Amino acid sequence: MDSFPLRQKRSSSQNLSALQARLQPYLPTAKYILKRIGIYFLTVLGAVTLAFIFFHLMPGDPLSIVFSQLEKTNLGRVTGGAEVAEAYKRLLGLDQPLPVQYLLFLRNVLIGGFDLGPSFVAFPTSTRDVIFRQLPWTIGYFTSAMLIAWLIGTTIGALLGWLRRIGLTSVAVGIATLLNITPVYIIAIAAIIFFGYHLHWLPTGQPYDPGLTPNWGDIEFIKNVLRHAIMPIASVVLVWGASFSLGMRSLMISVLGEDYLSYAKAKGLTPFMILRDYAFRNALLPQVTALGIALGNTINGVLILEAIFVVPGVGGLFVRAMAIHDFNVMQGVVLLSTVAVLTLSLIVDLLLPFLDPRIRRSND
Amino acid sequence: MINWKLLLGILLLTIILFTAAIGPMITPSFFPGEDPAQVGSYPSLESPSPQHPLGTDTLGRDAVVIIINGIRLSLVIGVVGGIISTLIGVTIGFIAGYVGKRTDTVLRVIIDMVLVIPVLPLLLLMSLYIPKWDVVTMGVLLGIFGWAFVARTTRAQVLSLRERSYVDLARLNSEGTLEIIFEELLPGLLPYIFLGLAGAMVGNMLIEAGLQLIGIGAGLPPTLGSIMGRAYGAGALSLGLYGQILVPAGILVAMFLALNLINMALEERFNPRLRAFAEER
Repeated sequence: MDSFPLRQKRSSSQNLSALQARLQPYLPTAKYILKRIGIYFLTVLGAVTLAFIFFHLMPGDPLSIVFSQLEKTNLGRVTGGAEVAEAYKRLLGLDQPLPVQYLLFLRNVLIGGFDLGPSFVAFPTSTRDVIFRQLPWTIGYFTSAMLIAWLIGTTIGALLGWLRRIGLTSVAVGIATLLNITPVYIIAIAAIIFFGYHLHWLPTGQPYDPGLTPNWGDIEFIKNVLRHAIMPIASVVLVWGASFSLGMRSLMISVLGEDYLSYAKAKGLTPFMILRDYAFRNALLPQVTALGIALGNTINGVLILEAIFVVPGVGGLFVRAMAIHDFNVMQGVVLLSTVAVLTLSLIVDLLLPFLDPRIRRSND
Repeated sequence: MINWKLLLGILLLTIILFTAAIGPMITPSFFPGEDPAQVGSYPSLESPSPQHPLGTDTLGRDAVVIIINGIRLSLVIGVVGGIISTLIGVTIGFIAGYVGKRTDTVLRVIIDMVLVIPVLPLLLLMSLYIPKWDVVTMGVLLGIFGWAFVARTTRAQVLSLRERSYVDLARLNSEGTLEIIFEELLPGLLPYIFLGLAGAMVGNMLIEAGLQLIGIGAGLPPTLGSIMGRAYGAGALSLGLYGQILVPAGILVAMFLALNLINMALEERFNPRLRAFAEER
């Protein structure tokens, strides 16, 4: 009778070790995922803190600047700017000591769902609403352009790498190099000059013809919007597509030098199978990472492009906010894009172990 | 074998630098008795003519002359910004890579954080606090924001250099830390530092041009970027003064292209796999 619990214990520990053995292969992946998510939350916290520091430790507070400017521009007609600024500061909690402000800020942003207070560009409307109202334009124009560029660029790059021995590809590589180093805004202005002012083929700016009222059910309106989107999207696709294709090409070339490709060839696989299953798949991984980074950094390019093409997106919003020192909106755009970059790179990093067994097995 | 990329790159760069150096001395002889770079010498925004091939700018100066003078001003921005970001970046990257351990972890997190924070909006924000622009201020501002990338590459290089056997040998020889840093590690890093510096220089000049297009840094002396920005802001596109935007842009792109060509040529020379591929052809 004594031996029974003992035996049971043994069998349960056997079970446990069997379970452990079964889980063993997944352990590094689980560890990797947990670690990565932990880093994500830390960096988000860090970025929010940095944004706070950046916007609150600047010399001169925004409200006083805004109201003193108002006094200056409307000389004599507006007075009492300082008092009004004080009143607003109390209203917005800006009279509290900095650490308290920081905690309030953290609470509002992280728990309050990106609550950054009212905007100045459209006063009583909240910063969140103003930004989210403009966001679809930015995503529709530039995120989609980036995705198109990635698809086209990766395909072309893979082909250029595969056909690297054919002399003609060096012409394509030369063109891609030139496009890659040209800033998007220069291509955009050149396109506006040529297709807009010279040939009069395409509209030079604005999201749709000024006379139209937005009606997304109307096919004519959608056509108009698409016509206006051609040049901005095409300039992003040209430059970023070139950059993606050059990246993919050099990845392909380095993969093509690997021994396992010679082995695959020796096994008698057809060139197409080698291209698809061996070279392309292995070169694709860093390319996915590149897409994540590029998507996150959209905001950098968008700032100038949206101003050039007069698109009502977050970039244009930022420039407008800057003109009247609307710190809430500027802070919101910076935070939003930072969190977007971090989230995208988290998603990419979490996808990688499923795409690449080497990452799955390594312990790092 | 002569590397045509290297040749073309050096040729392009020489032409541009030569124009920047010699141009301002030659141009006055085309305008006897007048100062083409003086504000108000001519009516503003004149259309291109034999006298003014690219027209005149908003302040009534000959566009060709101010573009030639602008190369030098733009270069100042590039050099100041490039040196600052290289200094900060190399120092931080070096410390991270050389000291390692905790320091490396902390610095790497900081570098990564600065890399993901969108630079342009913050740069725009900083620009609100600048009461009066000059080329050095612009260069400093750009330099402060450009170091993270340099730091990342430097760190990676130091990490690999540190493990080389000749560094171990130096340690065994009981060389001091400073000796190891300056005599063993830095020489190996120099090519990367110079390439990074050159890239950062032109990158800064291009960013400056982008900033000028959205109206930041107005009031700078006529750098290439400010010429573009001012022409764009004055509606040069609808006036047909395309050259005042396209020519400065072209010069900046050509400079960037030249550096890239040189960089590519050097890489083909020193990267064994690419070299094998280049010789195979």
